[in-house]
Amino acid sequence: MLRKNIKLKVVFTVLLTALFYLQSAAQQGWDVPADKKVKNSYIKFDAASAKEGEAIYTKNCLSCHGNPTKDNSMKSLKPVPPDLSGAKTQQLTDGELFYILNTGRGLMPSFSNVLSESDRWKTIAYMRSFNSSYVQVLSKTDPTKSKLVKINMDYDSLKSVVRVHVTAAEKNGVVVLKNAEVTLFAARYFGRLQVDKTMRTDNNGMATFGFNKTLPGDKQGYVNMIVKVNDDNYGEIESQSKLKIGVPTDKPSLTEKRAIWNVLAKAPIWLIVLYTTGVLVFGAFLLFILYSLFRIKKSGKN
Amino acid sequence: MSEQDEKPKKNSRRKFLQELGIVGIGSVLGGSAILAGINYDKKKTAGQRVRVLTAENELLEIEKSDTTKVAKTTYENLTYLQKQGRDGLAGKRFVMVIDLSKCRNARKCMAACQNAHHLRPEQHHINVLKMEETENTPAFYMPKPCQHCDNPPCVAVCPVDATFKRPDGIVLIDNERCIGCRFCIAACPYSARVFNWSEPLNAQADKDLTYNVELNVPQRKGTISKCLFSADRLREGKLPYCVGACPNGVYYFGDENEDAVTNGTTKETVRFKKLLEDNGGYTLMPELGTHPRVYYLPAKGKEYPFQDKDKPEALEHLHG
Amino acid sequence: MLGQSTTDKITSDLLRPIRLTKGFMAWMGFLGVSLVVCLGAYVIQLKDGLVVTGLGDYVSWGMYISNFVFFVATSLIGMLISAVLGLSGAKWASPLARIAEIIALAFAAVAGLVIVSDMGHPERLLNVFIHGRIQSPILWDVTVVTIYVLISALFLYIPLIPDLKICHDKLDKLPPFARNIYKVLSLNWTGSHEQEKIVKQLTRAIAIFIIPVALAIHTVTSWLFASTSRVGWDSTIFGPYFVTGAFVSGSAAVIIAMYFYRKNYKLEDYITLSHFDKMGKLLVLVSLVYLYFNLNEYMVPAYKMKKFDAIHIQSLFAGTHALMFWSIQIFGLVLPIILLVFNKMRKPLPMLIIASFVLVGAWFKRYIIVVPTQEHPFLPIQNVPLNFKVYSPTLIETLVTIAPFILVLLIITILSKVIPIVSIHETIEELEQKNK
Repeated sequence: MLRKNIKLKVVFTVLLTALFYLQSAAQQGWDVPADKKVKNSYIKFDAASAKEGEAIYTKNCLSCHGNPTKDNSMKSLKPVPPDLSGAKTQQLTDGELFYILNTGRGLMPSFSNVLSESDRWKTIAYMRSFNSSYVQVLSKTDPTKSKLVKINMDYDSLKSVVRVHVTAAEKNGVVVLKNAEVTLFAARYFGRLQVDKTMRTDNNGMATFGFNKTLPGDKQGYVNMIVKVNDDNYGEIESQSKLKIGVPTDKPSLTEKRAIWNVLAKAPIWLIVLYTTGVLVFGAFLLFILYSLFRIKKSGKN
Repeated sequence: MSEQDEKPKKNSRRKFLQELGIVGIGSVLGGSAILAGINYDKKKTAGQRVRVLTAENELLEIEKSDTTKVAKTTYENLTYLQKQGRDGLAGKRFVMVIDLSKCRNARKCMAACQNAHHLRPEQHHINVLKMEETENTPAFYMPKPCQHCDNPPCVAVCPVDATFKRPDGIVLIDNERCIGCRFCIAACPYSARVFNWSEPLNAQADKDLTYNVELNVPQRKGTISKCLFSADRLREGKLPYCVGACPNGVYYFGDENEDAVTNGTTKETVRFKKLLEDNGGYTLMPELGTHPRVYYLPAKGKEYPFQDKDKPEALEHLHG
Repeated sequence: MLGQSTTDKITSDLLRPIRLTKGFMAWMGFLGVSLVVCLGAYVIQLKDGLVVTGLGDYVSWGMYISNFVFFVATSLIGMLISAVLGLSGAKWASPLARIAEIIALAFAAVAGLVIVSDMGHPERLLNVFIHGRIQSPILWDVTVVTIYVLISALFLYIPLIPDLKICHDKLDKLPPFARNIYKVLSLNWTGSHEQEKIVKQLTRAIAIFIIPVALAIHTVTSWLFASTSRVGWDSTIFGPYFVTGAFVSGSAAVIIAMYFYRKNYKLEDYITLSHFDKMGKLLVLVSLVYLYFNLNEYMVPAYKMKKFDAIHIQSLFAGTHALMFWSIQIFGLVLPIILLVFNKMRKPLPMLIIASFVLVGAWFKRYIIVVPTQEHPFLPIQNVPLNFKVYSPTLIETLVTIAPFILVLLIITILSKVIPIVSIHETIEELEQKNK
C-alpha cells in the first residue's frame, strides 16, 4: 500500500514535471506541425555540404547567433539567440530546424525567400557538423521524379480564382498529385509576391487561389505567375506562365512634365519666356547703346 | 545563380557587367545598346548565367558563354555609362519603405553603403538618426537616405543639370559635371547630401576606374555625393546595398508601378500600397511638398527598445 | 559764360590726382603684396580642396557666400545715387555719381570672382554656360550680375567721354600711348550740340534701365536663400530686405570713399561739407527703412515661435550668435541712426567712423543671415565630427575672403588714378547754368 502510494506519488511528480516542462517548452519552443517535424534532407550532410553551409551561416546567421561553440551570440536580444551547437538546438529534428529556418518568428527572420531549399539544408548540415553523435536520416524523395510533374494554370474570371492543376506523367499513365503543397506567386522586379495562402491540392490535383484583378501587370495586363509545388513523393517543382490577369499598367515617366526641377528642355514655359525676354531686352538695349556711341564718334568726325 | 556562388566574384562580376553593357554596340555614341551580342558559334559552358539589360529595359538571363566582350576606350565606356545613368530604367518608379518599428540601430546599412560608394566615415548617404520629436513622444531610430523626391528642391536649384531626376524617380549626381557650388546642399530639407571636401577615401586606388554615375564611384574632390538608391544594383535586378545589408527587416524596396516591395532581410515581397495602408505609412515633412519616394512605417510596437545612452543626442535637436 | 580762369582751375583741380605719386606707388605695392599672400591661400585651397575651410556638410556656405552677398549689396549704391537721385533731380548728388559708379563697378565685377572662390570645381565654370539650367537662381544671378557689370561700366564710361577728351588735351605730360588711349576712348568728342544730346539721352536711358537691373541682382541674390525651405531663409520679404540692406552698406562705402578722396585728392571744394550732410541724412533714411525690414524679418517668426523658427531665433537672440546679432543691430544700425540725426555728427570725420561701423556691421549682417540657418536643419545633425556642427572659419578661408576686398581697392585706386573722380564737364556745365 505504502509502496503503491510512493509509486503513485513518483508517477504523479514525474507527470507534473513533464507537464510543466512541456508547457514551458510550448511557450518558448517552436510549434512545429507533425508532418514538418519528420521532413528529412535530400542533401547528404558531409564535410562538403557543411563547408558550403558555413559560408551561408556566416552571411545570414552569424550576426545574431554568433560562432557555434563560442557562446558569442547577441546577448542584448530577447530572447537571446541560442548557440546553435548547443544541446537544445541539436536535440531538434532536421525537419524542425528546417521549419524554423523557413518560417522564422519574432526577431528571427524567415529564410524561405532568402535561401534556396538546398542552401537551407546546407546550413543545417553545418550546424550538425558540431554534433558528433548525430546520424542523418536521408529523405526518401527521389529527386529525378520531379521531372515527371506537369503544372497547368488558368484564371476563372467569373469566380476570380487562379486554378492550378498538378499531374505527373508516370509510366502507367497520368496521375494527379493529391494533397501536394502548392504556392502561387506573381513575379515582381525584386522578388515573388505570394498570392493567397499556400494551398493543398484536392483529390483532383487541383488547388484554387483567390485572385481579384488588382495587381498591376505589364502594358497588356500580363503577369508572370510562378507556381511552386511541394510533394512528398515528387519533391519540389516550379513552373512559370504568363497570364493576362493584371491591371494593364503603362505609367508615364516621372520626368515627362515641365517643371522647375526638370531639365532645361522641360523648363516651364513662363520661365523660358521671362528669361528670354529679359536677355533679349538687354541685348537690344546694348545694341542701342553701341549704336549711339557709334553716332557720337561719327558726328565728331564730321 | 545563388548569392553565395557569386560572392567571391562580385567585383569581377560587376566589372564584367559594365563591360558587357557595351557588347554588340557598333557605335556607342548613339547609345543604341542592344542586347549583348550573342555569339552562337561559341561552345556553351553550362551553368554560368548572367543577367543583362536590353535597351528596352528588359532584364534577361542568358548563358555567360553567349556573350562576347567588345574592346572599347575609356571614353566610350564613360559615354555609355553616362547615358544609361541618365536614361534610367524605363517603366519603373522605385520606392523604399522603412519600417521604424524594426530598426535597432544596427547600422549595417550605413556600413554597406559607405563601403559600396567608397565614402569616408563621416560621409553618409544613409544616416541612422536618433529621433525624438517632442518631449513626451517616444524616441526611435530613423534611417534617413535621400528621399528621391518627385518635386526635388535640390535638382531645381542645380545650375548645370549635374544633379537630375530620372524617369524612374531616382535622383542622381553626375560628378563629371558638378561645379561644387553646394546649392543643392542648401536646398535639401533632409540634409541628404554630402560633399567631398578633400580627396576622397580611395582616390589613389580608384583613379583608373571609369566613372559610373549610378554608383558615383570614383568619388571626386570638390563634388557632391548622395544616396543613389544603388541604381547600379537595380539595373541588375538586385536590392540596394543598404536594403540587402539590414539584419532586422527594416527595409522594403520595390517598384510603385508593380505595387510591390521586397523586404531586404526576408526577401518577402508584399503589396506596396497595402503595406502602407495596414501600417500607417507616411512620408517625412509632407508639408514641404517635396513628394518623397521614401515612405516610413511608424515606430509602433518597437521590437527593440530605444537605448538610454542615445537619449541625450536625440534630445539635442529638440532644444537646438 | 564762366571766366577762363575758373574753368582752368576746375580742370586742373580735378585732373591733379591723375599722376603717379610716391604715396600711390606705396599703396599699390601694399595692395599687390597683400593680394599675392591671399592668392597663395587660394592656391592651397585649389590644391587640397575646400577642406582647408571651416565648412562642412551642414554649414556648407560660409564666409565666401556672405562675402558674395555683401559685394553684390554694396554694388547697388551706384544705382541709388547715380540713377534714382539723378533722375529725381537731386542735383547735389551729381559730383558723387562717379564715385558711386566706381564703387558699384568694382564690387559687382569682383562679386563674380567671390562666388568662384566658393566653388569646388572652379575650372568647370563654363559648365554654367554649356549646361546652364534657367530654372536655377544661380543662372539668374550670373545673368543679371553680368548685365549689371556691363551696364555699370557703360554708366561710368558714357558721362566720362567729355572728360576723356579733356584728359587727352590737358595731360600733355603723359606718355603718348596713354594719351592715345584717352583719344580713342573719347570717340572724337568735340562737344557739339548733337554729341551733347546723344550723351544726355544715353545717360538718361541707362539711368532708367539700371534701376530694374540693380533691383534684380540683389533680389535674385536673396532668392539663392529664399528659394530653399530652410528656417531663416524661407521668407517672402527677402528681396526688399536685401535691397534695403544693400543701400545701407553702399551708402556707408560711398561715405568712406568720399572722405578719402576729399582728403587725399584735396577736393574740399568739390566734395563739400554739404555733401557729407546730405549723405548722412541719406544713410539715416536707408538705415531706418532697413531697420523696419529687420523688425519684420525677426518679429514675425519670433511672435509665433514655430518649432524650428524657435530654435533659430533662440540662437540669434540669446544663443551662440547673440553677441554678433545684437552688436550688428546696435552698432551697425540703431546707434548710427541716432548719432547721424545730430548735425554735429554729419561732419567728415565722425561720419567716417560711423560709416565704418555700418560697413563692418553690414558684412557681419550677411554672415548672420547665411551661417546660423544652416546650423539648424530640420533633421538632427548626427554621426559627423563636431566641426560639421559648428562653423568656425579658418585662416586660409579668411585670407581668401580678404582677397576680393584687395581687388576692389585695386580697381578703385587704379580707376581713380586714370579718370577724374568728379566730372569736370558736368561741374563746369552746372556752374554755367547757375551763373545764367
